Amino acid sequence: MSESAIITTNNVNLWYNEKRALESVSMKIPKNKVTALIGPSGCGKSTLLRCFNRLNDLIDHVKITGEITLDDKNIQESGTDVVLLRKKVGMVFQKPNPFPKSIYENVAYGPRVHGVKDKAELDKIVEQSLRHAAIWDEVKDRLNDSALGLSGGQQQRLCIARTLAVEPEVILMDEPCSALDPIATAKIENLIDLLKKDYTVIIVTHNMQQAARVSDYTGFMYLGKLIECGKTNQIFEHPHEELTENYITGRFG
Amino acid sequence: MTEKFHAELKSLKSETLEMAHLGRFMLRTAVDALIRQDNDLAASVVARKEEIHTLEVRLEEHCYQLIALNQPMAKDMRVIACTLKVITASLRIGRYGKVIANIAKKISDQPHIANLMTIPHMADLVIEMIDDAIEAYEKDSIDAISDFSARDDTIDSLRQSIFREGITYMMEDPKSITRCTNYILVARYLERCADHACKIAENVHYMNTGERIEIH
Repeated sequence: MSESAIITTNNVNLWYNEKRALESVSMKIPKNKVTALIGPSGCGKSTLLRCFNRLNDLIDHVKITGEITLDDKNIQESGTDVVLLRKKVGMVFQKPNPFPKSIYENVAYGPRVHGVKDKAELDKIVEQSLRHAAIWDEVKDRLNDSALGLSGGQQQRLCIARTLAVEPEVILMDEPCSALDPIATAKIENLIDLLKKDYTVIIVTHNMQQAARVSDYTGFMYLGKLIECGKTNQIFEHPHEELTENYITGRFG
Repeated sequence: MTEKFHAELKSLKSETLEMAHLGRFMLRTAVDALIRQDNDLAASVVARKEEIHTLEVRLEEHCYQLIALNQPMAKDMRVIACTLKVITASLRIGRYGKVIANIAKKISDQPHIANLMTIPHMADLVIEMIDDAIEAYEKDSIDAISDFSARDDTIDSLRQSIFREGITYMMEDPKSITRCTNYILVARYLERCADHACKIAENVHYMNTGERIEIH
């Protein structure tokens, strides 16, 4: 990859107890690009994604070796401020998970935790984040309504707005459309395309057509190993590895 | 579902092979009709025009349906892309067969000049190229098409030599103009058929390797 890398993994291994979930994963995530991770269930793609904001720390008996750098700093080091790391590397999950609060409060929550007190400043952040997440026009007249009253697709875009509100550099998305209908999915996909102007997006998806549509780079994982990583058009047109070929043509997985 | 898709892909390929063989057969038979001055044989080629057109429409439709319903990727996508090119090339080869058959009928009332010059030899070489291209498509192999560039050069040289030879006969005897002009046209059509064989070869190469090549 010729683009500058924002995240680099070097020989990363991960064990859940005795079970090895990642094996010698080395890859570069280019800045301001969308990178998709694909592979059959249990191949380690979500595990790898969670390495990028150290979310695996929350799971017992996890052991990680190797190096993961964000902006050339090793995030595995013990002195890493994990809260700051998760501010820089935001995450959107499979199922929309808004707080049981108002739309406004969902977005304002993060900046407030990070010390923004000024109401006008918060208003500005909320509006900008909702605009960036392409949901402002749909919610601007009901910011004080409960977020739980929104549709699934709107809730997911609200969660993206909530992530954007703390000004991350990287956004991790773990199957962000799997609970959404095709129209809501299309909106999220369009949004991903817009987001890469300002952010780096890493998306885990089971939907290969989605990976092909939204990403610039694709990594194919199998049994904890990164089998192949390259430009999306190369991976889907003529992958170098037979395993990748067999997976994306549906011959296994 | 992927098993069903792969079975359909296989059947698409075998139907396309049938069409490719029909196009090749029309060309071979047309040249034979020209050589033997056999009007019935020529008419039998012209009669298959509709059949090859119908196949083209049906198979293209099949390709589009497979794309729309399965969003194929990697080799599956390349097989369909290549198949679309094989369909077009086969139709063109068949159509040139029909045009040569019409020429055969038109000039069958007079003896050939110089035993058709090198047209029969050129036709043999072109048909060998078509056979090899079809075989490469059928067997997913690029062995038989590795020397296509040199073979295409030979075909181009033969067309030029037929053109020059035809001109000399026409200059010697204006009564030969109709026949020689038609020979030159036939040589041109055969050269185009070799180009279509090259097109198939280029696409078979892409289908198997994912890399584009150009055969000049």
